[in-house]
Amino acid sequence: MVAMAWPTASGLPPRAMVLGAVGICVVLTAALSMLELGRGGFLASLGRLFEYVGNIVAAPDWEYAPTVAWKMLETVEMAFLGTALAVVMSLPLGLLAARNSAPHPAVSHTMRAIMTTIRSLPELMWALFFVTAVGLGPLPGVAAIALVSIGYLGKFLAEAIEAVPDAAVEGVVVHGANRMQVRFYALMPQAWPDFIAVTFYVFEHNVRAATVLGIVGAGGIGYDMTMAMRLFRYDRLALILLAIYLAVTILDRLSDRIRARVI
Amino acid sequence: MSDLSSLPRKPINVFPLWLAALAALFVVATRDLEIDFRALAWGVADMGEFLGRFGTPDFSRLGRYLTLMGETVAMGLWGTALAFLGAFAIAPFAARNLSPHPLVYRIARELLNFLRAMPDLLFAMVFVAAMGLGPLPGVLAIGMHVTGFLGKVFAENLERVDPGAYEAVRASGAGFLQTVMWAGWPSVLQETVGYTIFILDRNVRMAAILGLVGAGGIGFEIKTTMGLFQYDRAAALILVVGTTILAIDYLSVWARRKVR
Repeated sequence: MVAMAWPTASGLPPRAMVLGAVGICVVLTAALSMLELGRGGFLASLGRLFEYVGNIVAAPDWEYAPTVAWKMLETVEMAFLGTALAVVMSLPLGLLAARNSAPHPAVSHTMRAIMTTIRSLPELMWALFFVTAVGLGPLPGVAAIALVSIGYLGKFLAEAIEAVPDAAVEGVVVHGANRMQVRFYALMPQAWPDFIAVTFYVFEHNVRAATVLGIVGAGGIGYDMTMAMRLFRYDRLALILLAIYLAVTILDRLSDRIRARVI
Repeated sequence: MSDLSSLPRKPINVFPLWLAALAALFVVATRDLEIDFRALAWGVADMGEFLGRFGTPDFSRLGRYLTLMGETVAMGLWGTALAFLGAFAIAPFAARNLSPHPLVYRIARELLNFLRAMPDLLFAMVFVAAMGLGPLPGVLAIGMHVTGFLGKVFAENLERVDPGAYEAVRASGAGFLQTVMWAGWPSVLQETVGYTIFILDRNVRMAAILGLVGAGGIGFEIKTTMGLFQYDRAAALILVVGTTILAIDYLSVWARRKVR
């Protein structure tokens, strides 16, 4: 018999850990009563799920493949446009939001508050608003992606600018640079690589977000997916899911490569 | 002066080239999607009018809203718990220095990649179609997608562990499971718990959205009220969601500081 003991004085697990684990179990059990389970309970639901997935993978409609490819390309284009717009717009906004480059502390606080508000709602909610404003199509989707991305990119740029060491700023100041020149020749060049790296992550996220915006009519492959599900076209659904998986995976790997080169 | 060697060739600045390529891509994509950005400017007035309808939140059914918010938080909690268990089971196989076989490593990695690539909303749509409306498909959707995320992060944490920790346990005759349980997880416990708390915050947000496709929670009510043009009720619901998310945000920052 091997004596098993924790590396504590008493040989028992640390009290904080036990209490934490018990607390989590209690909370989860209490939460369970709020989630009424589906008809016939959990196992029956799982059975239906397997049946459904079996339907999906049964026989893809390969003649639909070119259409799916085009729709997927459109979705990626939406993500690209949204990200590009956000990059351009978050440059000035990030400069205004960083404490060390804002013209006045009040400006920096206001900008940060605006960005936090933007980030508190996900793309899908903003897309809902934009669809009511400009109608169905990819434009509200691009606008929603751009808006949320500004919230993230602006915040990251501001943080990157604030992290620039004072030495870089002093080096430019002693040569007689004014405040604008400090921003362009000391702060931006130092913050740039971090900003680019984050931009790639945001783009990857946006591709994923763009695939679901179609649910509220904001363009992209999500609309075709909703339609395929409503019409029970399982053969098309399989291709759409495959296209999303392939596009996201390929873009992830590609952007990993490019990012490794840039930095 | 003349015997000074000429300066080395100036490196080509590729930045303008990249910029031009991206600008060209921008134009091509705009054309392809037939987007007219001026429509945004025209739509601003409509949007202002639309947002104005949310100006008078109606809290008369606050009790029901709070129950729904509770359900949403419960979905987030259970989704996180499922994802944690899934990641806990898969991550050791997806860590290069722990995995029993390179092939197992590849399969585990690809599985995590697949789960990560599919947004939770897509999972939720499929699950709702298969299992019917309700919170269960939402919980499963969050669990599946976040398993991919947590699994990748956990696996990378396990890969960063000092090789000595694994060697020490293996040298005393530990097998795969024993190495994972006695050297792997104890070494990364803090990061693991910290990241799980971090993701919980995101999962509650997501649970509030999943209702849009019928996967339970407060999002379904938001969708219904908006569909019935009851904007004052929708405004109250959105305020309830916003306040809860803010509270959980602070709670999660506090909890993560505690763990560290």
